[in-house]
Amino acid sequence: MKDTQTLEHNVTRHPVKIAARDVQVYYGDSQAIQDVNIDINDKTVTAFIGPSGCGKSTFLRCINRMNDTIDVARVTGDIRIDGEDIYDKRVDPVQLRAKVGMVFQKPNPFPKSIYDNVAYGPRIHGLARNKSDLDDIVERALRRGAIWDEVKDRLHAAGTGLSGGQQQRLCIARAVATEPEVLLMDEPCSALDPIATAQVEELIDELRQNYSVVIVTHSMQQAARVSQKTAFFHLGNLVEFGDTDDIFTRPQDPRTESYITGRIG
Amino acid sequence: MGIILTTSTVVPLVVFIALLALGGYILARRRAMTSTGGDSRRLHSLPSYYGYNAVMSVTVPALLALGIWLLVQPMFVQSSVMEMIPAQAVPEGSSVNLVMRDVRRLAEGLDNAVQAGVMTSAEATDLTATDGLRMWLAEQGVAIGGDINPEILAAAQAYREMNLTGHVARNLVVVLLALAGVLLALRESHAEFRARNRVELGIKALLILAASLAILTTLGIVLSMLFETINFFRLHPWTDFFFGSSWAPNFRGDSDLSILPLLWGTLYISLIALLVAVPIGLFAAIYLSEYAGPKVRATAKPLLEILAGIPTIVYGLFALLTVGPFLVQVFGRGEAGFLGVDWMSGATSVLTAGLVMGIMLIPFVSSLSDDIINAVPQSLRDGSFGLGATQSETIRQVVLPAALPGIVGAVLLAASRAIGETMIVVLGAGAIARVSANPLEAMTTITTRIVSQLTGDSDFASPETLVAFALGLTLFVLTLGLNVLALYIVRKYREQYE
Repeated sequence: MKDTQTLEHNVTRHPVKIAARDVQVYYGDSQAIQDVNIDINDKTVTAFIGPSGCGKSTFLRCINRMNDTIDVARVTGDIRIDGEDIYDKRVDPVQLRAKVGMVFQKPNPFPKSIYDNVAYGPRIHGLARNKSDLDDIVERALRRGAIWDEVKDRLHAAGTGLSGGQQQRLCIARAVATEPEVLLMDEPCSALDPIATAQVEELIDELRQNYSVVIVTHSMQQAARVSQKTAFFHLGNLVEFGDTDDIFTRPQDPRTESYITGRIG
Repeated sequence: MGIILTTSTVVPLVVFIALLALGGYILARRRAMTSTGGDSRRLHSLPSYYGYNAVMSVTVPALLALGIWLLVQPMFVQSSVMEMIPAQAVPEGSSVNLVMRDVRRLAEGLDNAVQAGVMTSAEATDLTATDGLRMWLAEQGVAIGGDINPEILAAAQAYREMNLTGHVARNLVVVLLALAGVLLALRESHAEFRARNRVELGIKALLILAASLAILTTLGIVLSMLFETINFFRLHPWTDFFFGSSWAPNFRGDSDLSILPLLWGTLYISLIALLVAVPIGLFAAIYLSEYAGPKVRATAKPLLEILAGIPTIVYGLFALLTVGPFLVQVFGRGEAGFLGVDWMSGATSVLTAGLVMGIMLIPFVSSLSDDIINAVPQSLRDGSFGLGATQSETIRQVVLPAALPGIVGAVLLAASRAIGETMIVVLGAGAIARVSANPLEAMTTITTRIVSQLTGDSDFASPETLVAFALGLTLFVLTLGLNVLALYIVRKYREQYE
């Protein structure tokens, strides 16, 4: 496992990729998150931490409008990616999700071959001109997912036959195959063993070269290891947001301090 | 007490057992309570369990013995009496079974006479065959087919005697078992006795009995069909049944009884039914499980399932009176019809039956598919939406492939229902056995032929009647095979996600 110290915590400022203002989310009558304002930088790993039910996953799902698939969910406020309001009527949520990839808590490979899993997004969006083009896209995605060497000889075997860690890296490869600009990860390691977790964390650090990565995690160690910026959510509010080092060493808000020292959870 | 020991019916016996059980309940409960000096906390089990234990030990052995006796005694008496009838007592052109029928009626007549007080039991035993006996019995309301000869009278008297002795012995055994049961239960009813565990055992045995009865019944059905089928193949060559080309039963004894034209009709109608039911049912299931909101779902699903509750004879009427004439209007009647063609003459046809059967199968396919589609994990849909797929792309490329094995299983189950369906084809398909590819012609199916071979006067010794059992067994094997295959596929699929 990588030591925290060896990861370079890059503090150079990249431009703002995602800007959220006064975001409120309601599930039916109950309010899940309120007044969230946050600027997420490009080419940075941003971690969302907080106790269960604090709204961090809900906010994550606002960024690619996955909440649209839940009938009772309602989002107000303003979320912009590269200055464009993603809740504008002219924005097609289906197109948006190709640009904002998502990796889920539980590895969810489709019951198809490894190749078809990765080729799924490019095929839907018509990204490949021909077969060899598609082969290149699949290989590139699998290499970025750091799983190419393990699966290159069995691309046509079922994706569900891989181990848990391999499945999650396959899902990451699947998400990067559509060339997204933002990658959202909802507790991507919570169903994995420590070795697979280490592999995925290493991968997340590499993905930072190309994408703005937002990761929801329950593990504060993980947030400290992989992220440059950390946001702490509590009871639907964004309590504190800043450089990861600052949040974990000099928290400003007493609630943040209680959480990272283990007193509320 | 006397009536209980001599009765030939079982009602007084059962009443006696029930009363004894009730008494046993009260006594055992009281005895258990007294054994601890009235303190129910020191009993191993709640007081009522001692009572239930007494009820069990009274009723179970006694009723079991009664049941077995009721099955065995008639068989035993019948076979012993049959041995007494000499071969010359059987008239030409009759059989020993017919003679036995007379013996039983004569014995019944004697019983009635004794009961009516016309003669005493001893007189009935000593009666000898005289010319006036038949007339005299007729006056008592007992009609005997042939002359009463001494052999038959002797057999009837023996039959009556054996039954009387049998009844007394039976009643004695049952009463003794019940009494022994109550005494045993009373002896056991003390504080340390684990009555609760005993009752638990009894309940388990009851449940096992229920489960095994269902299985044994299936076995019994299969065996009875099998024996009759073997009888059929003794009378009729199996090569004609399986490989012949025509179905033409007649009662002269040179029938063509081949299953192939019937099998063709069955499969053709089932195919049309599935062509109707599978797309509509599957699309309805996809709409209900993926697109419909909770309100629409809550109303539409029960409405669709009402279709499943309509009796098939009503579907048959619908086929005969509505769909058939409509199809004739479209495809028949020459210039007067919608299409101006004259391809269809009668309302009964493969298409009529197939369409209506398809409608019947829609709820079957849709509710099974709905369950299967709902079992596809939400995470797969999320994964697909997260990659920017639309809803129909997600369904086509992720949900349906994941649900495919289960849907195939559902279709196979629907197919096996279609093959076994009777009333719709009786009314809608016609009665002409032929092999033709034209869906507008009348054809017939295995199930319709079973119905027509067995209705009316049937003589269970001719191949024309026995063929029904061979047809039924073939049908059973066919649908059983489909069901096993379907269950295998569905189960294999279930293992994937659970």
